[in-house]
Amino acid sequence: MTDKKIIMKLALLGDPAVGKTSLINRYTEEGFKENYQPTLGVNIVMKKLKIEEYEIQLAIWDIAGQDKYDLTRKMFFEGCVGSLLVYDITRPATFDRIQSKWLEDFRKFARSDGVYILIGNKVDLKESHTVSTEKGQSLAEEIQTSDFIETSAKFGNNVEIAFRRLVAQALSNFGINIKFN
Amino acid sequence: MIGDYKGEVKYKVVTALLQAYHDILDYDGMKSILKEAEMLHLKNIRDEDQNRYLDFFSFKKIIAAQNCLLYDSSMLLFEIGKKFSFYLFPYGKNFEEIISEINSIIITDWKVEIIKKDQDLIVVLVQKCIFCSEIGVPCDMFKGFLVHSLEKSLPSEYRITHFGDKKDLNDPNHNTFILKLKMEKKY
Repeated sequence: MTDKKIIMKLALLGDPAVGKTSLINRYTEEGFKENYQPTLGVNIVMKKLKIEEYEIQLAIWDIAGQDKYDLTRKMFFEGCVGSLLVYDITRPATFDRIQSKWLEDFRKFARSDGVYILIGNKVDLKESHTVSTEKGQSLAEEIQTSDFIETSAKFGNNVEIAFRRLVAQALSNFGINIKFN
Repeated sequence: MIGDYKGEVKYKVVTALLQAYHDILDYDGMKSILKEAEMLHLKNIRDEDQNRYLDFFSFKKIIAAQNCLLYDSSMLLFEIGKKFSFYLFPYGKNFEEIISEINSIIITDWKVEIIKKDQDLIVVLVQKCIFCSEIGVPCDMFKGFLVHSLEKSLPSEYRITHFGDKKDLNDPNHNTFILKLKMEKKY
């Protein structure tokens, strides 16, 4: 039986320095870089998955969070079927902008049936944890995302599961229901 | 990538393409495409002699990477095509000359020709377009290139609208197509 091929465009959205690039690096290369280098424009990475009889190619868009890209960013969303909305649990301002900026942009410019998951990143910085898990859960309910996950790109906590759940939800929009372990 | 990609491409074509990526996707976007194509060593090609030639297989690897990473991104591809025209012909040129030159600086099994020219309509036939030869990839990039090339050759009060046959992207021959370019006065 030949495999069925699916290509999906996914995006990571959130303020600068919330860890979008690190999450992708962790997921695709299983690495982490200590030094922060802001993304210039967009960084696009491919990842291949084999799930049941499906061969899935993910085009993962790491979209720069800086305001100077506001005009061009909307074009980056075209055809996007899913997004991780990322904030930094140590910086409340990044949490506040999830709803007012990133989700609004995603709803406006991505595919109308696009799915999204809320991610609170940097759980390894426990001593600076200023956005509580409860606040995250409450926002997740408010914005009607099916999932809220706290991650650490540095140590890899929940990173794989965050991407897997996003893929599973996006696939359900293709009429494909799969279960990840 | 499947096939026998014979031919060569002038360095100035690659330089213009990379500058277009840089303008639309910024530095990391350009780098993503070169990295996916395993052609990162070309990122400073603008510093080389622009009359040299790159083998067509290497060029095709860049285009294949572009089409893979920019899957479902028609608007971006169209804008990249416009910028590609801008950087390849920075001072503008007569449209017929551009068509003739693009055939001579990308030397491979493809052809672009003007098959009809009226006062307000130009019809272009693109055979075996190299920018969209993969199955499932629409040719928004080269359409952007043609639209901008014509627009720049006309007085500023003109705008171009483009249309053509709808092609089935799963048909391996979808990269041979006709593009109609309508010239209209804006006011």
